[in-house]
Amino acid sequence: MAQNPFPLGKDELLKAYRTMRTIREFEERLHVDFAKGDIPGFVHLYAGEEACATGIMMHLNDNDRIASTHRGHGHCIAKGVDVHAMMAEIYGRSTGACRGKGGSMHIADLSKGMMGANGILGAGAPLICGAALAAKVRGDRGVGITFVGDGASNQGTFLESLNLAAVWNLPVVFVVENNGYAESTAMEWAVSCDSYVDRATGFGMPGVTVDGTDFFAVYEAAGEIIRRARDGGGPALLECNMVRFYGHFEGDAQTYRAKGELEAIRASRDCLTILSERLVEAGVIGRDELQAVDREVNALIEDAVRAAKAAPLPVAEDLLRDVYVSY
Amino acid sequence: MAPVVGIVANPVSARDIRRVVANATSLQIADRANILLRVLAALHACGVRDVLMMPENGGIRAHVERGMMRARSRGEDIYPALHTVSMPVTGTVADTHHATAEMRRAGVSALVVLGGDGTHRAVAAECGTVPIAGISTGTNNAFPEHREPTITGLATGLAVTGRVPPHIAFSANKRIDVSLVSGATGATVTEMALVDVALVTERYIGARALWRTENFRELYVTFADPEVIGMSAIAGLLEPVGRDESGGLMVRLSPDGDCRKGVTTLHAPIAPGMMARVGITDWRRMPAGVAFVPEVSAGSVALDGERELSFSERDRLSLTLRDDAFRTVNVAAVMRHAGQNRLLTGTPVPVTAAF
Repeated sequence: MAQNPFPLGKDELLKAYRTMRTIREFEERLHVDFAKGDIPGFVHLYAGEEACATGIMMHLNDNDRIASTHRGHGHCIAKGVDVHAMMAEIYGRSTGACRGKGGSMHIADLSKGMMGANGILGAGAPLICGAALAAKVRGDRGVGITFVGDGASNQGTFLESLNLAAVWNLPVVFVVENNGYAESTAMEWAVSCDSYVDRATGFGMPGVTVDGTDFFAVYEAAGEIIRRARDGGGPALLECNMVRFYGHFEGDAQTYRAKGELEAIRASRDCLTILSERLVEAGVIGRDELQAVDREVNALIEDAVRAAKAAPLPVAEDLLRDVYVSY
Repeated sequence: MAPVVGIVANPVSARDIRRVVANATSLQIADRANILLRVLAALHACGVRDVLMMPENGGIRAHVERGMMRARSRGEDIYPALHTVSMPVTGTVADTHHATAEMRRAGVSALVVLGGDGTHRAVAAECGTVPIAGISTGTNNAFPEHREPTITGLATGLAVTGRVPPHIAFSANKRIDVSLVSGATGATVTEMALVDVALVTERYIGARALWRTENFRELYVTFADPEVIGMSAIAGLLEPVGRDESGGLMVRLSPDGDCRKGVTTLHAPIAPGMMARVGITDWRRMPAGVAFVPEVSAGSVALDGERELSFSERDRLSLTLRDDAFRTVNVAAVMRHAGQNRLLTGTPVPVTAAF
């Protein structure tokens, strides 16, 4: 086996691949099952964007907090939320992460530092400022990461949070997952500034843009930004340019895309293919080892779906349970 | 035929990790557009009436058009007509290659470039004999000189309208050609650098920028300038080599603190506000036309400060410096000539001031 040229050991590289593959298979399965009518509510799939969540979350521990978005499955899996609990939640079953009462857009697991997916655009940013302030006051070196799409970055909550994080020097990283479309509106029609780095600069914090389809580009940049925040260096913004393989929501006909656009990005900008080819080409991980991971992941997703379908639905008595949490 | 000037303005330069690991600047899109308006006004003042611009989706052109529209609404006629190359926009370096090639075919007299060393490298790869007038809007810019863009625009305008003789207006530049032959497939990849080629031990491209000096191994520069930052500064602080002299410099590096005999520690500004200790084992002149085969057997090739290619023990790498590889507008020489010959005076005046 060749010398490992990457910034991660083989076990960590396999972990990254497994995480990305798990997100991909999770989303591909939901794409199929949603079309069959098996799933209540709405789902927004993260397929195509796996390198971003994984490259960032590899630097975090359970003490670090993240605030996710409506497109949150990838963030949850990368942060370590149990896949069975997630699948059951999306299927609306009482064994789900939120006992089947939240669904896709409200998956949370505080034990993993996952403060919740969020159906309200831009709502995660002020939440993460609170979590980061708590970490700063406690002095536990925790950091907070909030994700927004290019659309939600226009929300007042997001802009106010940039300001708050800057003036309080909070250990926050604002991640803009720029897949080019706010639902169906292309970024250039809807974002007044022309670069998210400009937006960060306006609030007195550094901003960095990376190719969000390149796991190593995200991993390296996020590592420096997170280390800086953890060490007291303050907030920063990370823009990941990426692509989504499916519509804004399942059922979206995507008439706003150019002809051939989807085929082109699937052929040339698939982050999972880019990573696996690089690992194999360097001779660090064999294709057979990756295929073994694929089989494990397929079995995991299959079992999660089987278990979710077999689990009971919440009952009427569950309706007012867990509405408030005692601290 | 009236001269047409080409414009390549990169909206995504100065966005990398050096804003976090160092205190690199973040030049806003509106500022880039402002720079371009200053260039356009200067070109117009010299008689340039048409410019041809690379299309981009980063917002520069929209801001420029807004500025031009505002001038028109005030009745001012101070800008040339702005045309755009008809081509698809990918948001990658391919746009710069494509647009430069199209502008060369369209017969532009010069190319004004807004970007960092990487943008200028992409233009130089396709510009042929069309001279470049560079403006720094990147991070560690050694190639484009730091100067008020109005002056760069003026010099370009004076040069392309023939008011300054070509032997004064344009100067020759060096480049380093990189050849990487794959041991696995036999395929050859050729690249080039305008200022520096650094060989580092990281074998992944990642965030591209160079700042971990412990991984630096070999450095090849076309010019070694102690007044710039980045890789050229390392060479420049050892043995300055000018842009206008033949050949460059080759430097071997080692992790600082390496106890091997002969390792010298150099303090060098490798990024904005970032002084780093660099271990130097030796350096020598790099004559033009001689192929250098590096000692380092695996790692990444960084071109003008950014990791671009990775290579392994099986691959064969060679580097060759070329003199007189492409042309630039010699802004300092043009402006000196303009002053000495009173090119910008409205009516002829005596050579000595009359009272």
